[in-house]
Amino acid sequence: MNLQLLSYVLRYLERGYVKNLSLFIVLTLLTTLLAAAFFITDSMRFELQKIVDETPDIIVQKTRGGMRTTLDESLVNEMLEIPGIASAKGRIWGYYYFQKADVYFSLVGVDIYEQEHRNAIISLLQKSELEVGTMYVGEGVKRVLAENYYEDYFNFITPNLEKKRVYIAGVFTSATNLESNEMIVMQKEQLREIFGFQENEVTDIVIDVANPSELPTIALKLTQNYPNFNIVTKEDVSLSYAALFNYKNGIFLALFIIAFFTYFIIVYEKLSGLSSADKREIAILKALGWRVEDILHAKLYEALIISFGAYILGIFIAFGYVYIADAPLLKEVFLGHSGLKPEFELLLVFDMQTLFMLFIFIVPVYVLATLIPAWRIAITEVEEVMR
Amino acid sequence: MIAIKSLTKKFGNKFLFENYTESFQEGELIIIKGKSGSGKSTLLSLIAGLTKPTSGEIVVDSQQISKLPEHFCSAFRRDNIGIIFQKYNLIESLSVRENILLPLVPLGLQESLMQEQAKKVMQQFEIEHKADELVKKLSGGEQQRVAIARAHVADPKIILADEPTANLDEKLVLSFINILRKMKSQNKTIIVATHDSRFFNLDFVDRIVDFDS
Repeated sequence: MNLQLLSYVLRYLERGYVKNLSLFIVLTLLTTLLAAAFFITDSMRFELQKIVDETPDIIVQKTRGGMRTTLDESLVNEMLEIPGIASAKGRIWGYYYFQKADVYFSLVGVDIYEQEHRNAIISLLQKSELEVGTMYVGEGVKRVLAENYYEDYFNFITPNLEKKRVYIAGVFTSATNLESNEMIVMQKEQLREIFGFQENEVTDIVIDVANPSELPTIALKLTQNYPNFNIVTKEDVSLSYAALFNYKNGIFLALFIIAFFTYFIIVYEKLSGLSSADKREIAILKALGWRVEDILHAKLYEALIISFGAYILGIFIAFGYVYIADAPLLKEVFLGHSGLKPEFELLLVFDMQTLFMLFIFIVPVYVLATLIPAWRIAITEVEEVMR
Repeated sequence: MIAIKSLTKKFGNKFLFENYTESFQEGELIIIKGKSGSGKSTLLSLIAGLTKPTSGEIVVDSQQISKLPEHFCSAFRRDNIGIIFQKYNLIESLSVRENILLPLVPLGLQESLMQEQAKKVMQQFEIEHKADELVKKLSGGEQQRVAIARAHVADPKIILADEPTANLDEKLVLSFINILRKMKSQNKTIIVATHDSRFFNLDFVDRIVDFDS
């Protein structure tokens, strides 16, 4: 590397510091915005995929008047007779609206002898026993309860307006922050009391099939046998999350279009030609014996300092903004339902492909937009440029 | 040293040179005199390879500069030719020292070597005291000395000066003439294009080429 050339370039950037610093700031902001959006969507995609991965093969639900209602747990035995079904279990879960904090909690009833629960819950239950009258809560729930002076317990209100005091036995975290953060786990009997369920009532029935390739056939059999039930396969869950994610992608697309047009204006302005002072400087340098490649080298350094510098700085700022500051504002835009779910922290998902894509968008395009007009002037006769 | 053979240069339909032949010897100081538009500056540009002839040859130090590809032409200019432009063509937002160092930048020399070379020419042309000042803050005479120092910094064999005194007062013209004498004593080939009559009777000028005739 020619350090004298680099020194000339730094001096050139310093001489036009208003223009160059503005460009650097705009490029840094663009990179930050796009990288932050990518980080958030990557993090969401990771969390949603984890949820889908842990979803049972088939979920059987019942509706009445278009609204979800409970099922009789005795159906489990009927369903187990269908060939291909490896296991079937009734689940008790639901949402609890905590009026004071205006948030919903997800309540999950567990049986320590059952293994159909999420890994996070299983590992939790392996550590200690969950007694009736106690519960485990996600970090977000713990925070909301503490804010409302429920440090050790919480008083649930049943449909019959009775108070049910449940003590907090512990706080759990899991790889999937999006769901577990708002979750409360307790014994099934306890949850039945809170929801006002009868002894044989369950929220839904989850089924695992022995051979995944038979899943559509088994789902069809269930649909035929129970036409009044809603049969949801793992693929349906995945599709519904994908639809949700596509809506988020729409927000991302809007951000991307804004960023793209801003960047396009910068690139267009650079491609449309150099200022007369810059043209004159190139002509002088050529007259002094600089070769075309010397000029292009200098311009390459200039473009790399601005674009690569802005890219690196933008990535660092976005990283800090998303994973340290927890993406204020942007998180609200992407997640949107803060009233429904207590706050959760974005998990660190570092996708090199995303960073590479952003690099291609920012650095080589800017470098080319700097080199092309400089090259056009550098290959023109000095006399012509100076005239 | 410099041989111009059957040179033709056209601008549109107008011939500036038609089958022009001339030669300049090593160490010569030549004054090219002529009115504005007579082709003095264009001849210097052709010798420096800043523009190409319509036809004919320009051979500088056995290199056919008129036929050299741009890449080699720039390198040849850097190593062999120093140019003092009429309007000096300095980069105003750079300091005196930075302007003078510009021809050495692509060579990738050591910083100390470059600074030493710059110091030498700044001392030679009495501009060292302004080394760190921006060129735009200098007077016309000082700017001219910066341009001369810059033309010398790579120690070229040939110096081309285009109307070097066009914007200078009497005192500064005399100062330039003294500098010219100093350059001549260094055995450089110097070609000065000017219509300033004060150059025509200098005792150290080897030859005057009259473009008016």
